[in-house]
Amino acid sequence: MIALFNSKTWKLSSYLIALVLMVPVLVMLVGGIGASTQLFGHLWQTVLPTYLENTLWLAILVVLLALFFGVISAAIITQTNIIFKQQLRWLLLLPLAMPAYLVAYLYTDLFDYAGPVQRSLRAYFDWQAPSDYWFFDIRTLPGAALMLALVLFPYIYMLTRGAFEQQDQNLIRASRLLGLSARQTFFKVALPLARPAIAVSVSLVLMETLADFATVQYFAVNTLTTAIYDTWLGYGDIGAANALASVLMLLVLFVVLAEQRSRAGLRHQSARPNSKRELLQLSFIQQCIASTFCWALVVCGFLLPLTLLIIMAVEYSDMAQLSVLLSTGINSLKVSVIAATIAVLIALLLGLYQRLHADRYRKIPQQISGFGYAVPGTVLAMAMLSTLGPLDHWLNAGAEFLGFSAPGLILSGSLFAIVFALVVRFSAIANGAIDSGIKQIPMSLDYAPASLGVGLTGTLTKVHLPLLRPAIFVAWLLVFVEAMKELPAVLLLRPFNFETLSSQIYQLISDEMLEQGALGAILIVLFGLLPIVLLNKSKDKV
Amino acid sequence: MTVLLTIEQLSIELQEKVVLSALDLSLNKGDILGLVGASGCGKTTLLNAIAGFTKPSHGKIVINELVLSDNKASVAAEKRQVGMIFQDYALFPHLTVKENIAFGISKLSKEAQTHQINNLLSILKLTAHSDSYIHQLSGGQQQRVAIARALAPQPKLLLLDEPFSNIDARLRNELMVEIRHLLKQFDTTAIFVTHNKDEVFTFADKMAVMAEGKLLQFDAPNVICQQPNSYQVADFLQLGSWLPCRVSSTGAQSLLGQLEVASLASELVPSELVPSGQSKLLHLLVKPQQLNLTAKIDDENIANAQVEYISVTEQGFHYYLRSLTDAAIDQSLAFNKLSLYSDVALAINQQVSVQITPHKFLFFNNNS
Repeated sequence: MIALFNSKTWKLSSYLIALVLMVPVLVMLVGGIGASTQLFGHLWQTVLPTYLENTLWLAILVVLLALFFGVISAAIITQTNIIFKQQLRWLLLLPLAMPAYLVAYLYTDLFDYAGPVQRSLRAYFDWQAPSDYWFFDIRTLPGAALMLALVLFPYIYMLTRGAFEQQDQNLIRASRLLGLSARQTFFKVALPLARPAIAVSVSLVLMETLADFATVQYFAVNTLTTAIYDTWLGYGDIGAANALASVLMLLVLFVVLAEQRSRAGLRHQSARPNSKRELLQLSFIQQCIASTFCWALVVCGFLLPLTLLIIMAVEYSDMAQLSVLLSTGINSLKVSVIAATIAVLIALLLGLYQRLHADRYRKIPQQISGFGYAVPGTVLAMAMLSTLGPLDHWLNAGAEFLGFSAPGLILSGSLFAIVFALVVRFSAIANGAIDSGIKQIPMSLDYAPASLGVGLTGTLTKVHLPLLRPAIFVAWLLVFVEAMKELPAVLLLRPFNFETLSSQIYQLISDEMLEQGALGAILIVLFGLLPIVLLNKSKDKV
Repeated sequence: MTVLLTIEQLSIELQEKVVLSALDLSLNKGDILGLVGASGCGKTTLLNAIAGFTKPSHGKIVINELVLSDNKASVAAEKRQVGMIFQDYALFPHLTVKENIAFGISKLSKEAQTHQINNLLSILKLTAHSDSYIHQLSGGQQQRVAIARALAPQPKLLLLDEPFSNIDARLRNELMVEIRHLLKQFDTTAIFVTHNKDEVFTFADKMAVMAEGKLLQFDAPNVICQQPNSYQVADFLQLGSWLPCRVSSTGAQSLLGQLEVASLASELVPSELVPSGQSKLLHLLVKPQQLNLTAKIDDENIANAQVEYISVTEQGFHYYLRSLTDAAIDQSLAFNKLSLYSDVALAINQQVSVQITPHKFLFFNNNS
């Protein structure tokens, strides 16, 4: 069957929107890579090797730690009879809601020389000076890696758990009947079958790690993201910042390509209905070890930081804080609501274009619009600056040439830049949610209205949009929450004196005064919980 | 009778594969046409082309003298006045039964809409469910809603894509009779696609047999049943089993004996005629009732077949017979699936004597 419609306006808008979303990053890449070999040579001789080395080490350590946490917890939850399994199953997802920089700050506060842990140890053992004892330093590269792994491992846990749960039980039974023990079966059958899912989740962890800015900045670990930030805000050198951003973008592209290659292997996953799985019966000692492992992850990744935040909030909150919270909260809401609404409208336009139109290349606009998710916020901010900055200058010059007063930085210095960046970054999320909604509408419903004499407008307003209502809600909510949490792009692009919840909390963390913003931080964590609740609900349905 | 639908030289290529090839068809107003053929033979593509969901490469589709599609232009699907009942019914899950039926008649006045909906609800025995949502209905009720919805805008032509495939076998016949009655009541011209020939015999006035994008035969179902025009048609419709025969201008030789043919020329379609002095291997279409079986073997009844397979049916024992494994026989005449029914209980490999009762023989070349 052919797609029914061929609206030229729709087609043109779709391609145009996709192009507009992609242009800033292209401009940045062209500017960055083509900058000058001289600039690259200079960077290579000075800071770039250290930045690259730090970035790569951080990425390797985070992936190893997250794999250790994620795969083992997924295996325990799906393969064994661990007690409180039903609770742990979703509790292990919660660390995703916790921004890494918050965890970093809270643990530094806890384990620093002046923190309660070391203070108590000194009091107990009667140590007088730092030279009297050894205590690990959390503000290091491994420390940053641990913080990031603590909040990113749920990606690996979630996808690996899904892969284990969807495995065809007959394969496991066949392996047992062929003489392999439960342990051998796990390593020779279950784990290799889950490998594509693990690879996909590792790429997500890698992307998040490469995009992280606040944690490494707080720990003074110089990676590419912090370097971009410092080069631009510290030295005002947009050329060098662009070049660094381009290097980071290439690293991310490499991860994306690797992920797509591994995704091809996902086809090997079985989709056969699951029969009841036989669980590994743990001994008492094994139960204790498994439970400690899982609960430690939940406590360290979520419960303890949240408790510390709540204690801070109770101790230090006052009216002044509430009023600041209100004004930054409103700013956050404003930016996130606008970004989420635009992203959802674009996702609908492109998703329904792909579904209903007769164009051989109809998937392209949507695919292009989704690439932004892989672009780190810092890179995206540089892209906006390097595209919107010159545009502003042209606008001003043009206005003056025509005898009007210069409008100022109406694109790069306003909310426009932040909203634009957020839409580019999170369009993929909106696309995903809208697309899965569209896929649930049977193809025959596209054709039924035409067979009843109803055209394109009627088909959209009477059939597709009403049916997509739940998907629209989910897409909007997911983008809204991500936009509320986004930090680096907002930090680099916000207009003067404009603070959002996340940028304010970052400032307070930088100034070692998180107590002043504990309430806002709790709010961000609570917003972060929303998609997890949604995610858990939809997974349970499957 | 006025002609409602005319299709001329319709060809469709999808992804560089020919799905329909130079197809001609015409259908009178009020007729119900059953389109049969194996999966992938192009029957659903033909429906989609008529509905406007697939673009033909060549050819013309005309309804009521209005050209819907030709080499120059194509009328949009929503303007064709062609209704369709989809295989999965395609009912709108967010609308009630009443709203589903009203979907295609929103341009009518409120009173006209209400009148039309109430009329259809009552005819289709859905009045009690008018405010129900689709998921609250049984499969049969859902199908009736799909019919009501499709009939509401009073389409000139109704297309049904395997409408009975999702219905429980026990309900199917009853429903077919009911829907046929309804279509006749509305004087609706309809085309329905199926791969089940029995549905065509129950439901249709006309039958079209398709294979590999071509129309093999188009006629009334009983005519096709009595006089299939090719080996493919008879074989697809399973009108009988095949007995290989060596046919010459003087007669036909098979492993069941020499066939008594009054005038062989009258039995053969012209393309199968055998030049004088030559012989040709053809296949005789044999219906179960045209075979006489004798279990007792003696001098008069010489064994010429043996039992290959037995099953029990409501018409008695159903046997597949094959030719005797005798090295002396002409292997090109061997048969292995001669189907017949009998009340006599036989054993596997038991030898029997089978005779063909004289009738108008139908010979086909199996390469046709």
